[in-house]
Amino acid sequence: MSASAAQKVDPAQATLWARHYAGHDMIGTRTFGFWLYMLTDAMVYAALFASLGVLSHAVNLAGGPSPSAFINPIYAYGETITLFLSVLIYGYSMVALKNGNRGAVIGSMFVAMLLGIVYLVIAGVDIGNMFAHGIFPQVSGFLSIFFTIIIYHALHILVGVVWMLVMMVQIAREGFSANVIYRLINLRLFWHFQAVIWVFVFTFVYLQGMVA
Amino acid sequence: MLVHLQGPWSPLLGRLTLQQIPYHVPILMVTFIVVAILAAVVLAAATYFGKWGYLWREWLTTVDHKKIGVMYILLGLIMLLRGFADALMIRTQQAMAVGPSSPGEMGAVHGYLTPFHLGQIFTAHGLIMVVFAATPLLVGLMNIIVPLQIGARDMAYPYLNALGLWLTTAGAALVMLSLFVGNFAHGGWYGFVPYFELPYSPGVGVDYWMWTFQLSAIGTSLGSINLIATIVKMRAPGMTWMRLPIFTWASLSTNLIALTSFPVLMVALALLGLDRYVGTHFYTAGMGGNLMLYNDLFWVWGHPEVYFLILPAFGIMSEIIPTFSEKTLFGYATMVIASFAIGGVSWGVWLHHFFTMAATPSVNSFYSVTTMLVGIPTGVKVFNWIFTMYRGRVRYELPMLWALLALFLLLVGGMTGMMNAFASNDYMWHNGLFVVAHFHLMVLTIAASIFGAVEYWFPKVFGFKLEQKWGTWFFWFMVIGSGITFVTMFFLGFGGMTRRLDYIPYTQWSPYLHIMLLGMVFYVVAVLFFVAHLYVSLRDRVKNRAGADVWGTGRSLEWATHSPVPAYNFAITPNVNARDEWTWRKENGLTELHPGDYEGIHMPKNTGVPLFLGILFMGLGFALIWRIWWLALLCVALIVALIIIRSFDRDTDMTIPAHAVEQVESGARDEMSATMPTAGVRGGTVIAHSIPQSGTGGISGSTTSTSPSWAPMDR
Amino acid sequence: MFIKNKRYKMWAQMVLPPALLALGGCSDSGLYLLKPEGLMSRTFYHYFILDVVIMLLIVIPTTLLTIWAMWRYRKGGKGSYHPTWSHSNAIEAIVWGIPLVTVGILSYLSVKAIYDVNPYNPGVIAKAQKADGGDPVEVDVIATDWRWLFIYPQQHIASVNQLVVPVGTPVKFRLTSTSVVNDFLIPQLVGMIDVMPGMRTKQALVADKAGTYIGFSADYSGAGLSWMHFQTKAVSAAQFAQWVKSAQQSPQHLSYAGFNRFAKPYIAVGGDQQTFGNVQSGLFDYVIGEVMRGKVWRTPMAMTENMVNYMQKQRAEQKAGDY
Ligand code: HEM
Ligand SMILES: [Cu+2]
Ligand SMILES: [Cu+2]
Repeated sequence: MSASAAQKVDPAQATLWARHYAGHDMIGTRTFGFWLYMLTDAMVYAALFASLGVLSHAVNLAGGPSPSAFINPIYAYGETITLFLSVLIYGYSMVALKNGNRGAVIGSMFVAMLLGIVYLVIAGVDIGNMFAHGIFPQVSGFLSIFFTIIIYHALHILVGVVWMLVMMVQIAREGFSANVIYRLINLRLFWHFQAVIWVFVFTFVYLQGMVA
Repeated sequence: MLVHLQGPWSPLLGRLTLQQIPYHVPILMVTFIVVAILAAVVLAAATYFGKWGYLWREWLTTVDHKKIGVMYILLGLIMLLRGFADALMIRTQQAMAVGPSSPGEMGAVHGYLTPFHLGQIFTAHGLIMVVFAATPLLVGLMNIIVPLQIGARDMAYPYLNALGLWLTTAGAALVMLSLFVGNFAHGGWYGFVPYFELPYSPGVGVDYWMWTFQLSAIGTSLGSINLIATIVKMRAPGMTWMRLPIFTWASLSTNLIALTSFPVLMVALALLGLDRYVGTHFYTAGMGGNLMLYNDLFWVWGHPEVYFLILPAFGIMSEIIPTFSEKTLFGYATMVIASFAIGGVSWGVWLHHFFTMAATPSVNSFYSVTTMLVGIPTGVKVFNWIFTMYRGRVRYELPMLWALLALFLLLVGGMTGMMNAFASNDYMWHNGLFVVAHFHLMVLTIAASIFGAVEYWFPKVFGFKLEQKWGTWFFWFMVIGSGITFVTMFFLGFGGMTRRLDYIPYTQWSPYLHIMLLGMVFYVVAVLFFVAHLYVSLRDRVKNRAGADVWGTGRSLEWATHSPVPAYNFAITPNVNARDEWTWRKENGLTELHPGDYEGIHMPKNTGVPLFLGILFMGLGFALIWRIWWLALLCVALIVALIIIRSFDRDTDMTIPAHAVEQVESGARDEMSATMPTAGVRGGTVIAHSIPQSGTGGISGSTTSTSPSWAPMDR
Repeated sequence: MFIKNKRYKMWAQMVLPPALLALGGCSDSGLYLLKPEGLMSRTFYHYFILDVVIMLLIVIPTTLLTIWAMWRYRKGGKGSYHPTWSHSNAIEAIVWGIPLVTVGILSYLSVKAIYDVNPYNPGVIAKAQKADGGDPVEVDVIATDWRWLFIYPQQHIASVNQLVVPVGTPVKFRLTSTSVVNDFLIPQLVGMIDVMPGMRTKQALVADKAGTYIGFSADYSGAGLSWMHFQTKAVSAAQFAQWVKSAQQSPQHLSYAGFNRFAKPYIAVGGDQQTFGNVQSGLFDYVIGEVMRGKVWRTPMAMTENMVNYMQKQRAEQKAGDY
């Protein structure tokens, strides 16, 4: 009945020490950890969206404006297009990475970064417009979570932009070392993830707000 | 300024003024003097003995998972002591301030602590015990043991590991700072809204609470990423899932809980922060806020968190009990399933922390039932431990005593938890001492397994056993103290007494409060015994030297390397052939730990960056607490800069040359038995050299290189 | 009285562990939960005893089994030694089965109990009321920092830190708070319900026996919490009518504006009971509305950080009087 797996290996022939064991694969380990990190960020967003659900009732407007009154879809469309374009172009730079083409990687990453900056500008104008109309996070519970989500997402874009800048320098300096490669892969995950999150922001914050 | 603040604010110093130093509070001043003297002594000693270089090389900049684990445990023990001092003060106040005629001293109406002061103490007690004592102790243990059990050289991300440690330490340091600069939150460790909003908690206390909590949350999440990746990616060849030691399984399930739940805590705290700093309305009663949202978010983390703490404790028990029963663990697969069942169910029960918040009966019924479901896998575990002893040969050494104490505490704690889960009961004693007694039994379960684990694995890390005499006294005084204090507390729970009272109007409760104080006396004595335990162990360390398989009946891989463990853990990565690999090797006479023919070993290099980041984060926390905006901005800028600079560093790894490995290995003591007669001879040279003299380090002891020693720590 | 006292008491005495009984039975032990004097608390007690007994049926044998295994299989003892024995389907079935069945039974009881003492519509009170008819007494409870205000809207009176209820008649509460969350608890009569600002919760009770019972806030609400307790006087119907009449005579009145002053943070160190002979109607809903619109009675910093000085000042300034 013994559940011990002892009988399965013949002790006389057993290998006790894994000589020349190469150890773990560094890039795989690093990207795995980054997936885990993204899971935590996904949980942050989940909690934020849950809060949005809780704070989206009429009582949470506290007499302040309802989203349908002030959301301007033009900006959201603009953000959608720039972000998705940026992700697409980042994808090209990954293709270039497979071909080992340094110039193409840097070039397309530069464009992706510029698009990220455009996104930030659009978001800034959008938020600035709302502020100009007296629509502040302090006005009501709903507006608090509304601004928190869009600003938190914009902060991620900012991090992505800075990261791309750093990566362009690193590629230029040391080419495609293991360190650079795992970072590029992680940055790709990160950037795609922002696009995925944006789909949720767009649907639950903007679209839902507009029809509410 | 973004929000209306009571009290002064200046651009240079924020809310910080001289009045914030509590020099008029005698208790705090005495504490300050004691802490200052202790700090001075430690610093002077480090300077006098020329240990700064050693501290810097071997500890402050280390990325070695064992040393980081040791530091986590040290932090946990220090904070445990602080939390205990808090508990002592709470119990004293409550025993003194009973009935309208009880006298008041030092500014209090009754007893010697004002509600404001007591409030800070119980808030700090709770927060410290949960996130700055229990969590670091368990994280430290997982840090040390998991890589050893799976045959890895280190964690998946050694640098991140150090960062987690220093972030947690930064949080703990801020908690301690709040004693002497400003004040701490005064409402309870889990926070209340809207009580923690600015209008009702105008001081900096809540900000201290919030940022320290946040720092530890970040630190723990980083740690959980690391442990999961380590377990998934770093297992030695042959270490299949179903051969994983149970403690590693428990670590995996517990860190999955942490990974997914801590972000929710961060959100809960961040939204409160926005309310307090920016003036938003997440949790306010008016203006479209929703104060129940906080309770949901907090306890969506809070309940999984308690299981985050108990699962490693279960894991520890599942390691110790088979070793000292000299027998295979009963129901391995069941244990694994139960661990994950507990982890899974823990996500669906949070509402039992506020059954009284007027949810509909159907909702309360749902959460009542889900909560009781947790009792099933927990019960299964208890039975499995019993059946592990059954047909075994149980040895009552100290680790086993602690594990069994944990088992008994779990029986009572689990039963009272089930009584809480019965919602109609909870309506009567929610927020009361019954609940407090329940979770203290659970937390004592954790504490008992931690002490067991420290006894059990200490020799593995340090190379010598802890002595048994004072340890046994310590054990029994803990048992008696816990019994007296918490059994009595259940009675007060039946009295309907609620938590956090500064003054108790009903003299009928007085006898119970005094009995509890008596229990605390036993605890105080126990602490003294603990100190004696450590002191005598250190003094007799040469006599108590231990070999690889310290207890003689160790079962998993950590016993298949030398004690103390060398920096690289295993000179050659082991190949795993069975579930209890070490037992299997012993059964088949394959216990040779000197495979010979070593190769160079690739290891991460020490780095000071995590320490600096920790310091910067502490500065950031301090700046935000006191609303010193320029300092906050500066810290953020430096943090970003440091992270980027570090990302350019290519000099992060090193190779321990084969001859060095050879040297360490040949000097290591690896006798299987606990008695180690030839230790001094065989291990002598290397051990002596590995006690770094000032200015020297490294295994040869004669070099002046600044690299750390690779030989095991042995002091 | 709706449900006979006797049945529960006897039942309990048969099964309660003797130690508990000795303490619970003794008249002034302070173990109030074990001496229920109201319909709601008696219902709790009934289920509580059931719950404990069922669980002890499992926990005591388990404890004995543990001790037996520890003794029997100690090293050098008489137990047989099978170092690799680690699996048995029969035992696995039992160790999963026992907790499963127990939890099943307990879950059933728990759900039943939740409906029986549901604060919004307690099953036991509904049943009793159907049998008896009779109009419930309504009480609006407002928790301030740090006093309890009990408004009797039907009688237009209010009482501070003192709740008077007629024995045997259902009392229905609506509760709210001005500032932070409190918990309303009278251990011998009824369990807790949260009292939340800007929101309305409900609770109900029936007192079995005349007497004075302690009541307090169970959720941490700040510096004055320890003094935020109240007396509950359960009196006969005639005495209750008498009390209402005398309260209505009270010269002190409570208007909306007066309430704004009343609700300022105040630590009721002396118990500080008080009655208002005339309360502006709709005060309860007015308070909820105000809080929802963002009204805040903020706690002065001095009050938390230097409470004693504050209390002296408070005494001098705010003599109990007409608000
Ligand atoms: C069988 C397992 C358990 C059950 C059924 C259970 C049930 C409960 C319930 C229903 C409460 C809420 C009581 C109230 O606030 O009114 C509670 C509180 C608590 N439990 Fe448990 N529990 C169990 C195990 C644990 C474990 C393993 C731990 C910790 C290691 C733990 C720690 C706590 C803590 C800390 C609180 C109170 C938090 C606070 O109010 O400060 N419990 N438990
Ligand atoms: Cu405690
Ligand atoms: Cu819980």
